[in-house]
Amino acid sequence: MSEFLIRSLDASTIFTIAALGELIGQRSGILNVGIEGVMLFGATLGFIVAQSTGSYLLGFIVGIAIGGLLGLLHGFFSITLGGDQVVSGMGIWILGFGLTTYLGSPFTGPLGMERIPTILGVSPFFFVGILLVITVWFVLSKTSLGLRIRSVGENPAVAEVSGIDVAKTRYLCVISAGMLMGFAGAIYSLDYNPVWSYNFLLGWGFIALALVFFSMWNPFILLAGSLLFGTLWQLSLNPQLVLPGLFSRYIWRTVPFVITVGVLLLMATKWFRTRWGAAKPEALGQPYIKE
Amino acid sequence: MRIGSYQLKIEKRFSLTSWQAASISIVAVIVALILFSFIFIFAGINPLVAYREIFSYSFANPFGLPLTINRFIFLLLVTFAFIIPYRAGLWNIGMTGQLYAGALSAYAVLYVLGIKATTEMHLSPAIIIPLMLIASSLGGAFLGSIAGFLKGRFNVNEIVVTMMLNFITFWLVSFMIKEGGVFMNPGGRGESFELPPSLHAPLILNIPFTIFIALGAAVLLYYMFAKTKIGYQIRAYGENPAAASYAGISKIKIPLLVFIMGGILAGLSGYHYFAAVPGVYKIARNYGFFGDLAFYGIICGLISQGNPIAAIPVALLFGGLSVGGRFVQGKLGMSFGVDYALLGVLMITLVAFQFFYRYKIVWVKISKESLDVGIPH
Repeated sequence: MSEFLIRSLDASTIFTIAALGELIGQRSGILNVGIEGVMLFGATLGFIVAQSTGSYLLGFIVGIAIGGLLGLLHGFFSITLGGDQVVSGMGIWILGFGLTTYLGSPFTGPLGMERIPTILGVSPFFFVGILLVITVWFVLSKTSLGLRIRSVGENPAVAEVSGIDVAKTRYLCVISAGMLMGFAGAIYSLDYNPVWSYNFLLGWGFIALALVFFSMWNPFILLAGSLLFGTLWQLSLNPQLVLPGLFSRYIWRTVPFVITVGVLLLMATKWFRTRWGAAKPEALGQPYIKE
Repeated sequence: MRIGSYQLKIEKRFSLTSWQAASISIVAVIVALILFSFIFIFAGINPLVAYREIFSYSFANPFGLPLTINRFIFLLLVTFAFIIPYRAGLWNIGMTGQLYAGALSAYAVLYVLGIKATTEMHLSPAIIIPLMLIASSLGGAFLGSIAGFLKGRFNVNEIVVTMMLNFITFWLVSFMIKEGGVFMNPGGRGESFELPPSLHAPLILNIPFTIFIALGAAVLLYYMFAKTKIGYQIRAYGENPAAASYAGISKIKIPLLVFIMGGILAGLSGYHYFAAVPGVYKIARNYGFFGDLAFYGIICGLISQGNPIAAIPVALLFGGLSVGGRFVQGKLGMSFGVDYALLGVLMITLVAFQFFYRYKIVWVKISKESLDVGIPH
């Protein structure tokens, strides 16, 4: 049971970090629906590099770097070219899904390195995740940079007039967003489940996307949501720990996805929106072209 | 950029003729294939040899060509499943789930009729096959309607919902065909029971009759978008949902309708791959692969700019490329996933080319700069 809880915390960490990245991007008005693709890239390249060099550090650096690069690519498509952000995000997801399948397949199998040491039984990245949540919250709500980011996400035209470089701020956000997503992917493949097989994420990135909507763009609610979904995910993998014999294991695997739809539905109801609906960045997903 | 007295400038397009759109799409595919040749170069293979192998296998080989045609039918159906909501400005990335739902529903008909246990049938195939088609359409439509309803009624993000439904149905298929599931093959190999030969979909010149459904859908959809009121309403909703709503177009009806129509076609593609393609006739253990292939539908839909007739050659080309990609992977000893990599490279190139549908790059002659100092020349 305690192992179950620890695994749940580990799983939550990945949701937290990936979704935190998406949150930063969305706060600046850029929607990236390709989280899963960025995570796959970070996970796969991190895995390949760590296995070939024997260094976890290099694996993580490469995972984060490729995430940043994909963030930059998404920024280029959606900020500089002013294209449809959903199209670009989809492109990044399918690129990640397709290319990592090919690149990773010679490396199919376990990582074969000594496991990353734990702190009090919990993965060290859990604490990194908490720290990141606090940092992002602090930056977004207590610093002038955070004010810039939020104003760019609310109304870029007004922000531009008041002297904020919209494109620069957004690039900063999408690149750091990509780095966090790549990092989350690398944590998955190097620490949480160090075995490579094709398209192994099976929905983590999309749940992370839903978590951002769920969090109402607040890092602390995001953390709470990640803890909930990390536990759910772990439960769906090991239902025998809690409710032995109830349903087939395949039915359990659907549970996190069913609950995600349920939560999104709840949040879309009028009752919910009239209370907390104003949190959504006003300019989210809309291309902004400087006149 | 300036060369001589000419300058390179980016201009916004105000209109895009279908010829311009087609030529941009063709250039995009060519660029993607050039980019993709790096995959071959890194694997130490001459890209020209690889492409020759791909095209000759998929379009001129007695084994490859039928595979290409079957995949073409499948891709065309999933492309339509993407295109219809896309014309309404909505993203259906749930073709995967909808095709699983279609396949499960088709097999449910057989299960209910007791065909799993015995090959003796009380009804003639002329009744059962249409029943399977109807069931798979309804299965796909049901799954699609969930996303459409949630979008229309509650404005829930359809991308997340359709993706969640993909995963849900993925596991449901496993539940039905594996580990004692009701559709499990009595041999217990983790796949569904097989269709009795009399229920194999009729073949015409060795091609499943589903090709007529796919091509018929192309014509019908083209007609619907171009000539009918509902097609107009879908396009209006896609241009501007708020304005469409002021004009009296129902905010719930359109999303629901496009997702149901898309779901029907995706469901039929599930019937096609799991009950009509020669040599399969069961929900195979690697059913996830067919689900992944459905994402080619997004690419076909984007590259044909939502035009159902233009989707026909695009689906044929990508059907051939994906079949041929899998073939060269084996023949030239490349690692698994060449067809997946192709999917990724095509997609991202296409995203980059979206820019050219909206802007054009033109050479403009710069008029001689002259200092106007008020002195007449």
